[in-house]
Amino acid sequence: MISARGVSRSFDDGARGAVAVLDQVNLEVAKGEFVAVVGRSGSGKSTLLNVLGGLDTAYAGEVSVAGRRISGLTDAELARFRNREVGFVFQSFHLVPGLSALENVLLPSLFAAQTTPRARGQQVLEQVALGEKAARLPSQLSGGERQRVAIARALLHSPSVLLCDEPTGNLDALTADEVIGLFSRLNREGLTVVAVTHETRLRDAATRVLTLENGRLDLP
Amino acid sequence: MKLASLQRLVRLNVARDIRGALSSTFGVTVGVAALVFFVALGLGVGAIIREKVFPVDARLVEVVPSQLSLGLLGGGKIDQAAVDRLTALPGVTEAYRKMNVRVPAVTVYDGDFFGRKLRMGLEIIAVGVDPALVKADVQIGDFSDPGPGQPIPAVAASRLLEIYNKTFAPARSLPQLSGSMLAGFMFPIDFNRSFVTAAPAGPIVSAQGQVVGVSDRGLLAGITVPLAVAMRINRAANVDAESFTAVTLRVKEPSAVPRIVTAVKGMGFRVDDQERRMAENAGAAVAITTSAMALLSVLICILAAFNIAHALSASVRARERELAVMRAVGASKRDVFSLVFAEALLLGAFGGLVGTVLAIAAAAAVDFASSRALPEFPFKPESFFIAPWWLLLAGVTLGVVAAMAGAFLPARRAAQLDPARALAGQG
Repeated sequence: MISARGVSRSFDDGARGAVAVLDQVNLEVAKGEFVAVVGRSGSGKSTLLNVLGGLDTAYAGEVSVAGRRISGLTDAELARFRNREVGFVFQSFHLVPGLSALENVLLPSLFAAQTTPRARGQQVLEQVALGEKAARLPSQLSGGERQRVAIARALLHSPSVLLCDEPTGNLDALTADEVIGLFSRLNREGLTVVAVTHETRLRDAATRVLTLENGRLDLP
Repeated sequence: MKLASLQRLVRLNVARDIRGALSSTFGVTVGVAALVFFVALGLGVGAIIREKVFPVDARLVEVVPSQLSLGLLGGGKIDQAAVDRLTALPGVTEAYRKMNVRVPAVTVYDGDFFGRKLRMGLEIIAVGVDPALVKADVQIGDFSDPGPGQPIPAVAASRLLEIYNKTFAPARSLPQLSGSMLAGFMFPIDFNRSFVTAAPAGPIVSAQGQVVGVSDRGLLAGITVPLAVAMRINRAANVDAESFTAVTLRVKEPSAVPRIVTAVKGMGFRVDDQERRMAENAGAAVAITTSAMALLSVLICILAAFNIAHALSASVRARERELAVMRAVGASKRDVFSLVFAEALLLGAFGGLVGTVLAIAAAAAVDFASSRALPEFPFKPESFFIAPWWLLLAGVTLGVVAAMAGAFLPARRAAQLDPARALAGQG
């Protein structure tokens, strides 16, 4: 499902010059896997996720997702790829404040070539047990509910892979358990999940755990 | 991104900060309003000058005798042979002869004047013209010589009527007159009589004049009569009844006028373009003033564009994470650019539209105030403004263009935003 070969990424850090965040990373994720990527803060976990999701393109190496080589795609092609093949879930939810839960879920459809029916948005909201709160604004939802709306948004176009960046980082333990349970269920239903996390319970729920250290991936 | 999606997002973003949006469009609104108002004012005042104050037909050339004769080269008097030569010039379609009535004349009016008692004596200056020159404005008869003893058809100048209505009549409590009211009005004329010069030799010949129409081409300070009448009166008084005072040439195209003028001068005659020059000078003064005000308006719009750029830059900075999320869920750089740019377009179009409507409202208010507060004066129009469709369109377009100019850099910055850094809070 995901193949990364020799991926390197560095950032210009002013006085220190170029700092390598990812250094010759190789990674293979099979379809239906639930992979947790762990590592210390600043170890490059989020950068790896952004590279895999086509959000960061300034890297060296080759990345393929769902059988498609994304290295070298144009901006428009990458946008289509993110829209159809990838679902992002962020630590801070990143919902649009003025939109209802349903409208937030339908946000990807605004950038899709084909129109997505509102019923599909309602369907994914029900999938995350928020069908009754479709009309609520983000400010009227709890943290756990907001994250579930964000997960529903990621699921709208039935992506090949769910990329989660510290998805439980802003949630209390009980709510985090609910969200982790949701990821496990989605994974059991066949969805490939890659999550970068510090969260032990999320790591425990994964089928494979990878450790990123000093920009290098420690494969088990 | 589909157009419907773009509209949806633009509506959402504008509605989220309606006060900020209105603040951004304020400058555009003021600039566009000023432009439409002042250009409409310039067009209106220019039209009054061209059509009412100096109604100059661009295809007419007034030929008058040279002040000194050039002997063998021609010039001097304009006789029928000279008229024939002028008519034969390439590009001349018609020639209208004019001859002053060369004997002094006065009118002594004592009687009913449209319901008021009027007692007045006036020196009369009369010019005879070929009937075709004023035929279109003649309401009674065919403007030919009716013969001795019959009322002489006379055409009054529309500008003279305007001056009478706006200054003379109010000052003397006389009635306001229209061209159709005046048609048929009879007045006495004594030829060979003057209030201002020594009594000419010969007997006073009394006649009746009848106003048969009002024309832009009528003599401003006098009356215009048929050419045959002027020739008959001059002949009877044993004064020159052969040479013409002037010839008005009608040319095919206004662009041919300079060539005709050169040819006329080459024949030893002069071209009386005093009125045309006054019209051009007045028109130029209006055009310069209008251009200065229009330039000022455009400068306001340029400042407004900077204001929009500043406001949009701030808006983009505040929405960096939101834009990054859009990139994450499938927006391309072009989509983000379109989104920010379309917001500015909407604001610009709105500002342009409101500015245009405000300008029209301000123009209507000025016209209303003018009709109520300003005293009557000659050529005072019902409206000082002309706002053709292209000006309204230009107003809205200026608003849109100012917004587009202001939006370009912020939209490009938004499109170039690194979504990964913005989502990490490092934008």
